[in-house]
Amino acid sequence: MTNDGKKQIQNRPSGFGSPWLQLALSVACVLASEFLLKRGATEVANTDSAWSWTGVNGLASPLVWWAILLIIASFNSWLYVLRYIPITIAFPLSRVVDILVPLGCWIFLGELISPLRWCGIALVVAGLALVAKPIAQIEERL
Amino acid sequence: MSFLAFFFIVVSLLSFVVAQLVLKRAMVATRASGFRNARFVWKVTTGVVLMTISFFLTLGLLQRFDLSYLYPFQGLSVIFITLMAAAVLKEKLNLRLGIGALLISVGIVLVSLS
Repeated sequence: MTNDGKKQIQNRPSGFGSPWLQLALSVACVLASEFLLKRGATEVANTDSAWSWTGVNGLASPLVWWAILLIIASFNSWLYVLRYIPITIAFPLSRVVDILVPLGCWIFLGELISPLRWCGIALVVAGLALVAKPIAQIEERL
Repeated sequence: MSFLAFFFIVVSLLSFVVAQLVLKRAMVATRASGFRNARFVWKVTTGVVLMTISFFLTLGLLQRFDLSYLYPFQGLSVIFITLMAAAVLKEKLNLRLGIGALLISVGIVLVSLS
C-alpha cells in the first residue's frame, strides 16, 4: 500500500466513527435492500410498458421504498468510508455483499449452493483476503 | 439478450463507476476544504444523479431479468473501479490489490452463473 493510503487509514476516527464499522453497516444495508428490491420490482412488474425500462413503475411497491431508505443509509455510511479509505481497497471489500446474498439464501432459506457457486465464493473470499491483509497489518501496529 | 438490454446494462454500469469516482474525489477534498463549498455540493450532486440513473436502469432491468443474471455485470464494477481509480484518481495500484480485485470479480461472475 502507498504511504498516502496508509496515512488515510491511520488518521481515521475510532468507535462508531470507525470507517471499518461504517463499511460493515453500509454492506448490511445493501444486503437487505437487494432482497427488498428484487421482491418489490417483481411484485409490480409490467414489462409491456416501454416506461418500465426506466424502472420508475417500481416505485408503486412499498418494498422498493423501504429499499430506497436502506440505500440512502448505506450511501451515507459509504460517503464516510470514502473520506478515509482508498477506493481501490474500500470498493472491493464492499463486494463481500455478493457472497453474503447466496450464503444468506443457503443458511436462512435452505437453498442449495452448486459446486460452481462454492468455487465462486471461495475466489471472492481469496480476493477479499488479498485486499484486506495489508490493512489488517496496519491495524495491528496501531 | 437484446441490444437494448445490453445498452442499458452498460449505461447503468458506467454511470455507477463514474459516480463512485466523483464521490471519492468529493469526499477526499472535504479533508482539506470542508463540506461548505460549491465544488463539494456540485460533485456530490453529480455523483448522486449518476447513481440515481444507474439505480432506475437496474430497477427496469430487474423487471425483465433475474437478479442472478444481472449480477455478473455488477461484479465487473470491481475491476472497472479499481482500474479507473488508479488511472483517474492516481491511487497506487499494486499487484496484490490488482489480483484481489480480479479474483473478486471472477468469483462474483461464477457465483451468479451457477
